[in-house]
Amino acid sequence: MFAIENLHKTFVAPGHTVVNAVDGISLGIETGKLITLLGPSGCGKTTTLRCLAGLERPEAGRIVIGNRTMFDSDAGIFVSPSDRGIGMVFQSYAIWPHMTVFENVAFPLRVARDRKYSAAEIKAKVLRALDMVRMSGFESRPATQLSGGQQQRLAFARGLVREPQILLLDEPLSNLDAKLREQMRVELKRLQKRIGVTTVYVTHDQSEALALSDEIAVFNAGKIIQRGTPQEIYRHPKSQFVADFIGSANFLAGTVKETAGADGIALVETPHGLFRCSFSQAVAPGQSVLVSARPEDLVLYDKRPGDGVNVFAGKIAHRIFLGEVIDYLIDTGDGEIRVRAKPELDFRVGQAVHVGVPPQKCVALPS
Amino acid sequence: MSLANLRLGSLADLATSRRGAGWLRPRNLALIACVIVAGWLVFVPLSALLYTAFTEDTGFGPGAASFINFVEAYSSWHILRMFGNSVIFALGTALVTLVMGGLVAWVVERTDAPGGPLFHALALLSFAIPGLLTAMAWIFVLSPNIGWLNAIFKSTFGFKEAPFSIYSMGGMIWALASHYFPLAYLALGPALRVLDVRLEEAALVSGARYWQVMPKVTLPLLRPAILSTVLLLFMLGMSSYEVPRLIGRPARIDVFTTEIQAATQNAPPEFGIASALSITLLSICIIAVYFYRRATRHAEAFATITGKGYMPTRIKLRQWRWPVALAIGLLFAISLGLPLVTLVWQSFFRNLAQPFMPATSPMTLENYEFILSYPIFVNAVKTSVLLAAMAATIVVGLTFVMAWIALRAVPRSGWVLDSLAFTPIAIPHVIVGASVLFAYLMLPIPVYNTIWILLIAYVTMYLPYGMRFNSSGLTQIHKELEEVAEVAGARVGQVFARILLPLLAPVLLAAWIYVFVLSVRELGASVFLIGPGTHVLGTISLTMWEEGGSYGAVSALGVIQIIPLIAIVAALRWIELRVQSRSEASAAKAGAAP
Repeated sequence: MFAIENLHKTFVAPGHTVVNAVDGISLGIETGKLITLLGPSGCGKTTTLRCLAGLERPEAGRIVIGNRTMFDSDAGIFVSPSDRGIGMVFQSYAIWPHMTVFENVAFPLRVARDRKYSAAEIKAKVLRALDMVRMSGFESRPATQLSGGQQQRLAFARGLVREPQILLLDEPLSNLDAKLREQMRVELKRLQKRIGVTTVYVTHDQSEALALSDEIAVFNAGKIIQRGTPQEIYRHPKSQFVADFIGSANFLAGTVKETAGADGIALVETPHGLFRCSFSQAVAPGQSVLVSARPEDLVLYDKRPGDGVNVFAGKIAHRIFLGEVIDYLIDTGDGEIRVRAKPELDFRVGQAVHVGVPPQKCVALPS
Repeated sequence: MSLANLRLGSLADLATSRRGAGWLRPRNLALIACVIVAGWLVFVPLSALLYTAFTEDTGFGPGAASFINFVEAYSSWHILRMFGNSVIFALGTALVTLVMGGLVAWVVERTDAPGGPLFHALALLSFAIPGLLTAMAWIFVLSPNIGWLNAIFKSTFGFKEAPFSIYSMGGMIWALASHYFPLAYLALGPALRVLDVRLEEAALVSGARYWQVMPKVTLPLLRPAILSTVLLLFMLGMSSYEVPRLIGRPARIDVFTTEIQAATQNAPPEFGIASALSITLLSICIIAVYFYRRATRHAEAFATITGKGYMPTRIKLRQWRWPVALAIGLLFAISLGLPLVTLVWQSFFRNLAQPFMPATSPMTLENYEFILSYPIFVNAVKTSVLLAAMAATIVVGLTFVMAWIALRAVPRSGWVLDSLAFTPIAIPHVIVGASVLFAYLMLPIPVYNTIWILLIAYVTMYLPYGMRFNSSGLTQIHKELEEVAEVAGARVGQVFARILLPLLAPVLLAAWIYVFVLSVRELGASVFLIGPGTHVLGTISLTMWEEGGSYGAVSALGVIQIIPLIAIVAALRWIELRVQSRSEASAAKAGAAP
């Protein structure tokens, strides 16, 4: 539905240093899917989105939306943002304060050049768009008299009113408070599935990315580090950066002791003992790896369980009650390990415990 | 110009676009066009000034390169006295103004004395009164011969000699300070307003006595604001023309501005000497502006606003509330009210008249009838209004586009435009007038003796004001409001017409009115550029005063300028208040939104 090939964009930062904001990005997705560009601030995700919209002009690469080439550095093609036929929702919502709700939504139809919309058509389309975002009845309201959530819905209605072939969302939920954000997340997912518009979503919030996406592209320093479904990204991070950025993880340095079997599991030796870990790629014995385990995958025992493999021993150093879960910091004598446990199992600070982790949840990453 | 273009290319667009064609994008062409227009306005006259200064004055235009003008201009002892006069006058004005304005600012912003809004309105009002008319009015009040206050002292208190003389250095300083002190208040007010009282309270709690807090905490915190205000006022004093012309010249207290103007009026005109003198004045002003900008830049380092926790607390004056307010009221009454009342009163009498005193002749409207029946005055009104309207329209339109280009289209090269548009702030009006005159006498562009040469000078002088209104207005508008329109399918023209223009309309209107008022008040540049058929209000008033028109008629001419100007300034204030309340309302809305 859209394709980005080998995109490059640099900025001149103060002090004449050149920053590679987008450093050879290639990306694409099929019609009707939602792809999230996820990463920390300054990773190039927003610049990539703005290049897709035409608000930034890349130095090199190719951008195709639908079957039209929007940018091609070799052919010297650059289609201006006003001719790309896209819908976009900005972080600030960018609602025009001098217009009513109706006029805000009608704007893309009024300035459209591909065809002329009659007044009746404009009205019908605006009302449908407002109905889609559950804003019917607000048409004549001045845009300044809307709450944050309403402004956000209005921004979506405006982005969708022309039935764009692609919808670009630049951190659209980040200005809402936590509760409203979760509610809008569900609504956004439903809306996107119902109208089936191809969507590119930019966020730095990993839980939003996991909840909304058909596919996630994790960005760092202008490059895509890993791509995959939310499950793949979460379960099988391919690097420490991804494991750390998506959710949280404990890391242990270790050495591979054997060649992985057919199940992709091999033994790794760490300062805390032996661990059976799952490998996503083959690593030769003797190589060093980084073992990653998520706090919620770790299990606490008061006695040493099983055969002594995949187990740490330690003492509870801190206990943080979070309501639905309890976080424990376990002092292993060689660094701390974070464990997230159900509140039914109540351990005291100072208590000696053992921490176990199943081999499938113990991911070995190349170090 | 070539320098500007060079930096443009090297800095911004070669980095973005590896292909040369990207250079010729419309936004870059627009930038270059704006740089050319602004650069022409600023640098062509200055080049003419330099050229005239460093070439021999043949009487028929510049001749061979030479330093003879400098030798002639700077070789007499007179120059030292003039230099001393200029510095004492500017420095004296700055200090008197600072004390007066600082006092008002402190009372209005830091105490609970009543009348703050009234004093603020009066301060803004003073901006409407042309400096020429203030100077005239003070002569009516304090002249040793015709000043009515002196007359009262002589008749009532039996003084043999007039106790006051406006025709002295002190008189000049007072005449200008009384006109400029509201400016010092407006400049210092915001600094005092945002000064966190808790910084003072912390000092008190630490054991300091109140009299120790002022020099140890309050004044050091205000130092950048005070320093920048003094620099600004010093520069305005150096550049001022009206008071030196009306009061200084009869008193034989010459300063740079009057000397420069006089040199061009000599027979034969000494353009070379005028230019040579201009260069010193210009250098002083440029240095003052340089330090002014440095002072205001460093002002941010003094974190006087502490964000959320900031809460203004005012000093409780208790039983002194009303006396203090009355004292400030008296200050305004003397400095603004006295000249204004004198001028209005005089305009109803044919002969010299003392306000509210029994007059020798009856009140009459014949001064107004006289003014309005003479085509030369009516034409001057028409010329001034037309010129001011054109200058305001061109300045606002040009700086609107320039500010947009500088901030939005090519932000990395925008500083070129920004600095260009701000350059005229350092050029005294007298020098703008002289250099525009020299430039268009040399260039084969037939604007000499037409209103177009005045228009060129006005547009040049008021570019900085237009730029300041437009850039600050534009920074208030989130960039995404334009981007979303672009993505929605709007062309640049449509973004301007449907998004930017409606959103910026109040700012544009305020800028327009501001430039209009400044243009109507203008004198320093106009005296060089008027032709026989192109008198403006300032020059016609001056001519009438100096060529012995009746006091009544001159005053009537002043009053018919002041009344509409006051109305316009009131309208400007109303617009500003509306914009302010609107932006505050939307800010509150955004803050309160769930």
